[in-house]
Amino acid sequence: MGGTNQASAGGDSRDSSYWEVDADGAWAAYQPGGGRPWDLRGAAHLYRRAAFGANRGELQQALADGPQAAVTRLVRSPGEMAEFQRAFDQYDRAAESSGSDDGPRAWWLRRMIETPHPLQEKMTLFWHSHFGISRARVTTGRLMVRLIHVLRGQSLGHYGEMLAAVLREPALFLGLSADANRKALPNDRVARQLLAQYGPGPEAFDEGDVCETARALTGWFVLRDELRFVEREHDTGVKRILGQSGPWTSEDALRIVLQHPATALNIVRRVYRWLISETGEPETRWIEPLAASFRKDYDIGRLVETMLRSNCFFSPQAYRQRVKSPVELALSLIRPLEGNVPTLGLGGVLAELGQNLFRPPTVKGWLGGRHWLNPVAMMERVQLAMALLTPGGAYGAGLDPLAVVPRHDVADPAAGAQFLLNVLLGGDVPEEVRERLCRRATESDAAELPGRLRELAQDIVTLPEFQLA
Amino acid sequence: MSLTRRQWLKLTVGTPALLALTPAVPPILSRAAWAADATRDRSDHVLVILQLSGGNDGLNTVVPYADDDYGRHRSTLRLAERELHKIDAALGFHQEFAAVSQLYQEGHASIVQGVGYPDGSRDHDVALRDWHTARVGELACQTGWVGRAIDVAAQSPTPTVPGVFVGPIAMPFALQAEQQVVPAIRSLDAGQMAGLQPLRRRAQRGGDLTGPSAGLDGTSVADGNPLLDFAHHCLRAAYVGGERLEAVLRRADGVSDYPPLQLASHLAVIAQLIRAQLGIRIFFAELGGGGIGGFDNHANQRDNHAALLRQMSQSMAAFVGDLQRAGMLDRVVVMTFSEFGRTLIENGRRGTDHGDAAPLFLFGGRLRGGLVGSHPRLDRLVQDAPESHTDFRRVYATVLDRWLGLDSVSVLGGRYEPLELFA
Repeated sequence: MGGTNQASAGGDSRDSSYWEVDADGAWAAYQPGGGRPWDLRGAAHLYRRAAFGANRGELQQALADGPQAAVTRLVRSPGEMAEFQRAFDQYDRAAESSGSDDGPRAWWLRRMIETPHPLQEKMTLFWHSHFGISRARVTTGRLMVRLIHVLRGQSLGHYGEMLAAVLREPALFLGLSADANRKALPNDRVARQLLAQYGPGPEAFDEGDVCETARALTGWFVLRDELRFVEREHDTGVKRILGQSGPWTSEDALRIVLQHPATALNIVRRVYRWLISETGEPETRWIEPLAASFRKDYDIGRLVETMLRSNCFFSPQAYRQRVKSPVELALSLIRPLEGNVPTLGLGGVLAELGQNLFRPPTVKGWLGGRHWLNPVAMMERVQLAMALLTPGGAYGAGLDPLAVVPRHDVADPAAGAQFLLNVLLGGDVPEEVRERLCRRATESDAAELPGRLRELAQDIVTLPEFQLA
Repeated sequence: MSLTRRQWLKLTVGTPALLALTPAVPPILSRAAWAADATRDRSDHVLVILQLSGGNDGLNTVVPYADDDYGRHRSTLRLAERELHKIDAALGFHQEFAAVSQLYQEGHASIVQGVGYPDGSRDHDVALRDWHTARVGELACQTGWVGRAIDVAAQSPTPTVPGVFVGPIAMPFALQAEQQVVPAIRSLDAGQMAGLQPLRRRAQRGGDLTGPSAGLDGTSVADGNPLLDFAHHCLRAAYVGGERLEAVLRRADGVSDYPPLQLASHLAVIAQLIRAQLGIRIFFAELGGGGIGGFDNHANQRDNHAALLRQMSQSMAAFVGDLQRAGMLDRVVVMTFSEFGRTLIENGRRGTDHGDAAPLFLFGGRLRGGLVGSHPRLDRLVQDAPESHTDFRRVYATVLDRWLGLDSVSVLGGRYEPLELFA
């Protein structure tokens, strides 16, 4: 990459060598060839979804490896992960004691910037939104950080185990205002969330199921930040949940939820929206093959891997069919430009853009899609990108485009421009836009080049394409 | 069958560019286009909500001076009849409400009396939560009533910013939306507008901004990807809105007429944002929160309360005057609220405790004016405070349905009898 010959990778998504997929072949592994070439667009797309964007080295590696090996690289946990996580878990413990969630928020962003296994953080963020628990109701910050640790540990693990682990977290009960589940006064909030969001989804149950599930959950209390089971407050009677009757406990309720056929479909639907497309609800027929497989053992890693390897993932059905969340927007500048910026203030700015880590707006999590965008939010998104690209501003040294342009491209302004288009947009912009941006860069003489490249990076982030994942 | 956005655009106006950016097109055209979407055309009406944090003492704001019970129970905080700005033979405004009194005389202010809710909480957090969610007692309620109104108002094919918070404190829960990102604007200084620079550069370099399907830099909008289209429209709206706002800020019309008070500066920002025609329908501002000096005066209330009322009165008069001179007052209604009123009976520390009923103020150019409802009775106290008789959600429903043209039932989750507020 780097030379103007990369221009052939451009053009917008609609012409193109990308192809239509049908339901039958959608989840088969994508094999390049013929009218379906493996190019920079695909590599950048993969890294936007399965990571937080790619730097030059990662893109080159992916291009050389081919799509399947590139996916393998992203889904496998690198050997050094345990050490990395141990260090960051310790930082979290230091930060959580401060009482404010600014510290943990900053450390999570730092973890996303530095992690050698970005897919894990990407999925942790997904599960954070999925579970919809906000620090606003979790009185002790430590419990919130612990919940995120549980999600991270299972982010590519087993959904059943994750759900069981979350149901043992006091943060869940506090976050749903359900810290007391008395026999005489069952609290239906955990039950409702379990059925509507974590389980089979809103279509699959009625109010009777909610009441009966709430009875199964009686006896659980949050006392001094610990989740305790108080035997005498548990309703031992027979309950009927999703068609099954018995003297159910919370473990039984969980088992019944996982046995319900709609649960896998609901989760697959949500992961589809996260990894593939926000522009339309997939038909059941389309995702049922994935759900059928997921239902067997709730293996999240396999589900995610199947999606990422698929024809569907590398088709127009997925390409640029998501809006970058604020976190993704910031990271999609920071990681490709190989920078590291102070994250304390960044966390606050991302909160103003609508994504306050540890505080999803409602128990439904962040709805995303076009909800992220409005004219004022767009102005603020551009401002954030500007600030990140400005040295000596709110982000210290900021991100320096010049630092990552390969040495031989620096001498050639057009190549430098193309390089930035490649790392920030996978080289995929309309031809006239590319020409204008490159022309602008070539008008400058060598002395002006650093400023010009910075300006060019600013121009790139104002392209609508940059707002899409 | 639901139409896609693009089909809708073509059906209604023929050219996608017209709705690509509401603020960019002549108001008449954009309103005509809107009419196809909204059943009622109130699309240029603006609501400004002002939160008086801490529980305003309504009894010393709209003073029942002629009621013996008032004088009897307010031994140290009693305001003398001669100092008040008389409303009628029974009521008068606090002496620091001179400017509000003037607005009232001109018909630009209404007082909804005795507002609260049944079994209203006297705990700040709980009561404020109830006023914010408008779902009384629903602890698990996830969204605020303004946030829900914003979500409803945002259901349009064009990118819009239905509501913003303007203030220095954390965003009040009332603005919590399920879907929309609600911006918080602290000030309008150069730093806030820095994002305009690269947008302008792109626009200037590309030249054409007005062509039918022009992007920001004259490129055509990519067909077939609705998200890309939407991002494109948002960028254009950000650019055009930003330019317009910057022009407004440069002209600084009316700015010098505001007193140097925090609330006044926030109302000045709101006036600028209205001037810039960004399509913002709901503004939320605040007075008294964020530490010392709020309305929660349990001790030595007199001077602190007077200072707050003075700030509110002066600021509001400046705002109304500014809007009036700009010919915009008929489009704007201000509604105040506070989480509760205070006790009639003093607490022995020259202060008052948390109560129930309180007056709610409206300001604007299209009000009926005058008093709405009766003053709460002082001879029938509950825990030392007069009882409310008008549910605050009736006021919410009225401004939603009859001012903003947003369906109050879907926002409030129930039907509340409207009040006669607007002319």
